Formats: sequence, structure tokens, C-alpha cells
Amino acid sequence: MNPSDQKWQRLAAAARRAPDTRDVMAPFGFSTRVVARAFGAPAASLLERFSLRALGVAAILAVVCVVGSYSTLAGAFDNDSGSVDDPVADMLELAS
Amino acid sequence: MPEDESFDLAGCLARVRERDQSAARALVEHLYPLVIRIIRAHLPRRVAEEDLAQDIFLKMFTRLEQYQGAVPFPHWVSRIAVTTCIDQLRAQKRRPEFRWADLSENEADVLDAVLTNEDAVETGDALAARELVHRLLDQLKPDDRLVIQLLDLEQKTIAEISALTGWNQSLVKVRAFRARRKLQKLFRELEEKERP
Repeated sequence: MNPSDQKWQRLAAAARRAPDTRDVMAPFGFSTRVVARAFGAPAASLLERFSLRALGVAAILAVVCVVGSYSTLAGAFDNDSGSVDDPVADMLELAS
Repeated sequence: MPEDESFDLAGCLARVRERDQSAARALVEHLYPLVIRIIRAHLPRRVAEEDLAQDIFLKMFTRLEQYQGAVPFPHWVSRIAVTTCIDQLRAQKRRPEFRWADLSENEADVLDAVLTNEDAVETGDALAARELVHRLLDQLKPDDRLVIQLLDLEQKTIAEISALTGWNQSLVKVRAFRARRKLQKLFRELEEKERP
């Protein structure tokens, strides 16, 4: 054991001899307060847990639907854009 | 271990599982001395011990369904208490610098005696020695501090510390080694600095 470690060991040995006279009993009302909090907060019910999972599954399905139908949606917008791109040109074309 | 050996822990736990609130209160009062001693041994400075005790008991009730009886119930609660304390220590990131000037007269005398004298510190200085030890422990990383405190102040074995913290024995030894090296460095630095 090196000298610095001996110093620590002597100090720790002295600290171990220090009496702890503080009360270790629960303060008045402590257990009532803790139990009221512990039992007051209801555990997540089966329905709640199922609902959270269902929400997650629904979100994933929504993303899959959007990705799966992306080409259709994009195509629809492309067709629309042709007709509304230049309404003035369309009018002139009709007039001629 | 809780002092009241006549307490019917198994029966009490069974009633708590059936959400019997009077049994739950009795359980808290039975385990409070065990929990408060752990908190006082490892409590970070400036944290209210009662708040921490409340957190520990709330965790105990929340996790009660996970308790399978593999270890005695007080050991299981001790582990919750130790891990809660270490979480608090980790949250308290700032570690105050250790300086002679911050020590009380008694603490400075004890430190002087430890640094210059080969003899044991006098019994009358035990309280100052304990304060001084806590100041030194404040300089360590939370995990290292916990290990050295359990090892050198509470005189637990490596196996007991491993069971209490959930860390394997090699990790406990590494943390103890690191803590001792840091303490040695602190002592060397204090020797180099003069007492004001």
C-alpha cells in the first residue's frame, strides 16, 4: 500500500468511527403521502397500452399508403398542371 | 436490514399487491430506516433526503410486479435506493474544487494530521473526518465514488457491491482502482499546497 493510500485508509477508518445519531424513523405523514401518490396514479390500463400501439401501427400504415400511392398521386398532379399551366395560352388556342 | 424482525414481510407484500393501502404504509415505515441510511451514506450535497426517499419508494411500488423473490426484498429495495442515489449524483455534474480554505477548523486539523502524521486520527475528530471524507468523495466520478464508499466506509466486499449495483466484479475493481488513484492524486496535491 503506498503512502497516499495509507492516508486515505486512516481517514476512512476515522470517518467510520463517527456516530450517526440522526433519527431513522419515517417522518410523520411520510408513508401516507408516498402511498397516496403511488396508489393515486393509475397504472396504464390494457386499453391505454393497446391504444398507444394502435396509434403507432396506424402511423406506419399511413406512411406506407402514401409511399405506395406516391406515383399515382404525382401523376395526377402532373396531368392537372398541364391544363392550368398557362390558361391564357389555352384561351388563345381556343379562340384561333 | 430493517430492525423489526417480527414484521411479516411476505404477508405485507401480498396485501400490497392487492392494493391494500394500510399494508403499503406499513411497508414504507418498515423499510424507511434501511432506505434513509443508504441515502445518507450516498446523498449528493444539496439534495433533500426526504424527496429522494419518496422517489425510491415510488419506484418500489411501480416495479413491485417485477419482484420475483430471487433476492430478499430489502436487498431488492436497497438496489433501487443505490441506483437512485447514483442517478442523482450523475445529475449533479459540477464537482466543487477541493481547497484548504473551504475546510472548517476541525476538518483542516484532521487533514493536517492525516498528511503529516503516521498515527491514527483521534476518535474525537471522527465527525470532522467524516465531513472531510465526503468532501474528498465529492471530487470523484459518481460511479467511482459509490464503489469506494461501499468498499472503504461501509466495508462491503466486491461481491456484495456487485450484487448491490448490478455491475460485474471486474468493473467494481476497476472503479475502486480509479477512485483510489484519484484520491492519491488529491492527497499529493494537498501536500504540495500549504495550509493557509
